[in-house]
Amino acid sequence: MIEETPKQKGLPASCRIHVGTSGYAYAEWTDAGFYPAGTKSGQMLPLYAKQFSITELNYTWYRMPVPETIERQRQQAGSGFLFTAKLIRTLTHEIDPMKWQKEALRYREGMSPLLQSKQLLAVLIQLPPSFARTQGNRTHLSVLLDSLEGLPLAVEFRHRSWAVDRVFDELERRRVCLVSVDEPDLPGLFPALDVVTCPDLFYVRFHGRNDRGWRSGNMQKQFDYFYSDDQLREWIEKRIIPMSSRAGKGVIFFNNHVRGQAAGNALQLRRLLSKEGLEVG
Amino acid sequence: MRSRSIIHLNVADFAVAVERQADCRLRNRPVIVAPEAAARAEVYDMSEEAYQDGVRKGMPLKKALRFCSGARILPPHPDRYEQAMMECFKRVLPYSPLAEMTDQKGHIFVDVTGSGRLFGPPPDIAWRIRRAFRSEMGLDPIWSVASNKLVAKVATRLVKPSGEYIVREGEEAHFLQPLPLYLVPGILPEERKQFGEFNLSFVGQAAGLTLEQLDLIFGRRGQTLFNLVRGVDLSPVQSFSLKKKGICFEHLFGTDTGQVAVVEGVLYCLAEKIGSFLRKQRLSAKNLGLILDFSDGKRIARQAAARPPVHDDLSLFSVAKLALKRAWTRRVRIRHISLSCNHFESRSSQLELFAGSRAEKEKKEQLMSALDQVRQRFGSGSLRTGRTFSLDAA
Repeated sequence: MIEETPKQKGLPASCRIHVGTSGYAYAEWTDAGFYPAGTKSGQMLPLYAKQFSITELNYTWYRMPVPETIERQRQQAGSGFLFTAKLIRTLTHEIDPMKWQKEALRYREGMSPLLQSKQLLAVLIQLPPSFARTQGNRTHLSVLLDSLEGLPLAVEFRHRSWAVDRVFDELERRRVCLVSVDEPDLPGLFPALDVVTCPDLFYVRFHGRNDRGWRSGNMQKQFDYFYSDDQLREWIEKRIIPMSSRAGKGVIFFNNHVRGQAAGNALQLRRLLSKEGLEVG
Repeated sequence: MRSRSIIHLNVADFAVAVERQADCRLRNRPVIVAPEAAARAEVYDMSEEAYQDGVRKGMPLKKALRFCSGARILPPHPDRYEQAMMECFKRVLPYSPLAEMTDQKGHIFVDVTGSGRLFGPPPDIAWRIRRAFRSEMGLDPIWSVASNKLVAKVATRLVKPSGEYIVREGEEAHFLQPLPLYLVPGILPEERKQFGEFNLSFVGQAAGLTLEQLDLIFGRRGQTLFNLVRGVDLSPVQSFSLKKKGICFEHLFGTDTGQVAVVEGVLYCLAEKIGSFLRKQRLSAKNLGLILDFSDGKRIARQAAARPPVHDDLSLFSVAKLALKRAWTRRVRIRHISLSCNHFESRSSQLELFAGSRAEKEKKEQLMSALDQVRQRFGSGSLRTGRTFSLDAA
């Protein structure tokens, strides 16, 4: 049997999909065999960059990025390597009404080395599960998006109330990417969708489907999951192929970092995407 | 050597933060913690507002008030701070048994090298601890993550009064390079002065010196300084043991004194505190150590052995008085006194051989037991010995 090419499947040949992991500096990945024994955290990025073309910086959620550090990381990874970065928590989770606009400026300044080198594909605005679609939150999000204008933005909702067309239309108008998520099927969580709101980029995050650990408050339980081939194939057929036909680029990250499972799943997905004839970065 | 992940938590202006928890009216206004109504009181701690006005720790209160006349002055409450530190510590221990309190001033180091598999990446652990401090205690600590205690401490100093910092392994020297030398703990003031004589005031400049050059300038301290300016620190986080290694109680005289009755009154109070601790733990002291700090900044430390080991207040006071006699050899007023006990032994249950001494011992035991019971029920000030009344007069 002759396999169909992307063109025959109706896919735009230019949609290049980059697969990586949410964060890369996990000490336990050395124990899991992803990094050679004795690898120090400062040496992990060049090793990671040998396997993947992109990473999602998640330390920028905990700490304000500093241009010098970001530039050092950029140089370590090489000029062909791509980044996305989480937005700092003081703009999404711990908002101080008096300070957050200054923080937004500082964040933009911190990311400037990646912006200038065009290696930053998106800034991920990850909103907390408690961030429901209330009037106050809608206003905050709107002002936040305005204050970050000029940065490539992606929004990840955790609360189901945001899964409405009016939200998607507004994101489309602003050319802000809606993040598609795979997470446990629990009440209140944002559903898995194949909506593309920005023609430049689609963005997918796999968090794992650990129902029991999800609300444990412990990351090691929350993100302890390994996707099977079948589960990933289903995602490719139902969502990734349709989304890649509507966007110029795609990024997919695995956040199930426990015991290096994210890296394993990312490599597995890349293999499956290639098999489907999709262009993988 | 396996790379380490050390979290440093620092509650800025700890004494003020604790006082503000007790009295919310103190928020958003300058606060100075210092002994009240004392002729030569020094600033124990101050709020960020007072700091911005120029007030510094150890500064005479009168001078501090010239800088910040509107500050609210509060007396220090060491017990309250110690209790708050223990509360902080309780929130850290679930993440690692390797946690170290360096002082009672809001600093905690936690080694989470081995905790990742259980609790996730170190920055996440630090953030969770901070969240617990904030939500359960109302304290907002600065936190940092680094590969050693030295760099972690510098990182929190850098972001004070609030914030966080992560220094990745391998970036220690790079991180320290642009910082002024005074931010690096372990470099003494006179050493900074010596660096200054060579026109070196930043860590990166000092790191340009070879070990031989440092040896030439600083002698035996050369190797230590060589490591410090490169962010090398192999010292472990001391694991916390519930079994105390020693206890220490201290008193800062509001007004420096040379009066024997006052000093002995204070000494008796300190001996009572040690006695109360020992009896609760069913321990006896084998020795007592005493440190006197004088008005002119000189310090003398002496100790006295207790043979046989003792736990009742009167015997402890006798031993403490012997140590005081050995230490108080100068005709200069005393500013600070501390009494400590580092060597204990479990209380013997063996009875005295002779009936006379047995009766006397039992009498003492009964007296102490009665005192402890009354004080436990009605407070430590409910029963006082005549000796301590001299303190009221002073």
